[in-house]
Amino acid sequence: MYLSIKGLSKSFGELEVLKDIDVSVEKGKVLTIMGPSGSGKTTLLRCLNALEEPTGGDFTFADGFSLDFGKKVSKQDWLRLRRKSGMVFQSYNLFPHKTALENVTEGPIVVQKRDKKQVQEMAERLLAKVGLKDKMHLYPHQLSGGQQQRVGIARALAIEPELMLFDEPTSALDPELIGEVLGVIKELANEGWTMVIVTHEVQFAEQVSDEVLFMDGGYIIEQGPPKQVLKEPKEKRTQQFLQRILNP
Amino acid sequence: MSLLNNVLLTITGDMGGWELFKNSLLPMITGGIKYTVPLTLISFAVGLVLALLTAMMRLSNSRFLRAPAIAYVSAIRGTPMLVQLFIVFYGMPSLNITIDPFPSAIIAFSLNVGAYASEIIRASILSIPKGQWEAGYTVGMSHSTTLKRIILPQAARVSIPPLSNTFISLVKDTSLASLILVTELFRRAQEIAARTYDFMLIYVEAAILYWVICFLLSLVQEAIERRLSRYTAR
Repeated sequence: MYLSIKGLSKSFGELEVLKDIDVSVEKGKVLTIMGPSGSGKTTLLRCLNALEEPTGGDFTFADGFSLDFGKKVSKQDWLRLRRKSGMVFQSYNLFPHKTALENVTEGPIVVQKRDKKQVQEMAERLLAKVGLKDKMHLYPHQLSGGQQQRVGIARALAIEPELMLFDEPTSALDPELIGEVLGVIKELANEGWTMVIVTHEVQFAEQVSDEVLFMDGGYIIEQGPPKQVLKEPKEKRTQQFLQRILNP
Repeated sequence: MSLLNNVLLTITGDMGGWELFKNSLLPMITGGIKYTVPLTLISFAVGLVLALLTAMMRLSNSRFLRAPAIAYVSAIRGTPMLVQLFIVFYGMPSLNITIDPFPSAIIAFSLNVGAYASEIIRASILSIPKGQWEAGYTVGMSHSTTLKRIILPQAARVSIPPLSNTFISLVKDTSLASLILVTELFRRAQEIAARTYDFMLIYVEAAILYWVICFLLSLVQEAIERRLSRYTAR
């Protein structure tokens, strides 16, 4: 186990978006979250990165670090939680005033104060890994959506996180560009990264996941290995969702 | 030069006009260089710092920071610049605080720029998508580092055209300092006109000089905009 989440809840005012979520993230495994929009899947992912502040529940990490959201969480703990994971956004959110390379080096150099030259080399390696070595001096607006998202992945990897988070990484992409991004994510899965991915790509989820979570209305409806949840779902809502997505 | 001579001859009626034009050029330009330009540059620089501070206060979560910022902007925008200038220069002595003309002008103009520019900066910061803040956070940055490294550089680009407007207005507004005895460009013009009674010629000359300054500044603005927009799609 890498992280155990117990009783996680999140409300925006009156609106309860996450209700009593129990889930564990296994080390070196890929957890995929699926579900209709408004089901709370993105909120769950953002809680892992401290982009949302849970209203209750707790996180326990394998290294002993734990957070109880029922109490006030200190600033240091928020920061510590955030620095455990790298985040890849649906809309990339690259820094438009920095080149691809600078996007990747920004975190390690500015925040982690690592050696500039070493970071530079590492960033070049990461960009080569996502197939963008020849584009590293270009600005985001000079790149296609798929290329931008691959820079986004390299940027998240550069801070050397324990956990990689993906928030619908291909939803903003043209169909012909989806493959190149999913390819990179699959490669990371093969390398043994611990990952949590929110996606609508059923086929991809089937190939890459060790565990699939189906959410609806703020609850986990169904959970299990991809073959079970995606091929023989027990719950009616999962069946309906998959049907809609596979036969639009 | 002969063409210019002819034009001036038609405006002024005799060659004396041309002589006067040439002779008054130096005092006016001197006034411009000694007072108008420094007044503009210093007030703008101080004003920008005030503006950034005010914008940050207005964007903060604390009411105690927001309230004074809102009051300051409202007071400055709601009163004439000339009145503000008079309060600092003619009003303060009754509180036993006497400030010389030039520093008085700097104070009044800085406060003025601070209020107007703060709204520009605030709007520019708000125009940067939320995702940019989040991206900064996810690579480990704090709020202030994200602001400094990610948000402000992008906001700067957005705010250049409206800030240039403020700057150019300021150049022209410095002529108000003539009314508190700062011997800037327009004060010099008034002195010459009062002596020679050639109001048309002298004031048109002053107008041309302001125009030249503003034209040069707009070239600078274009250069800055070009430089800051090198990373955006056109």
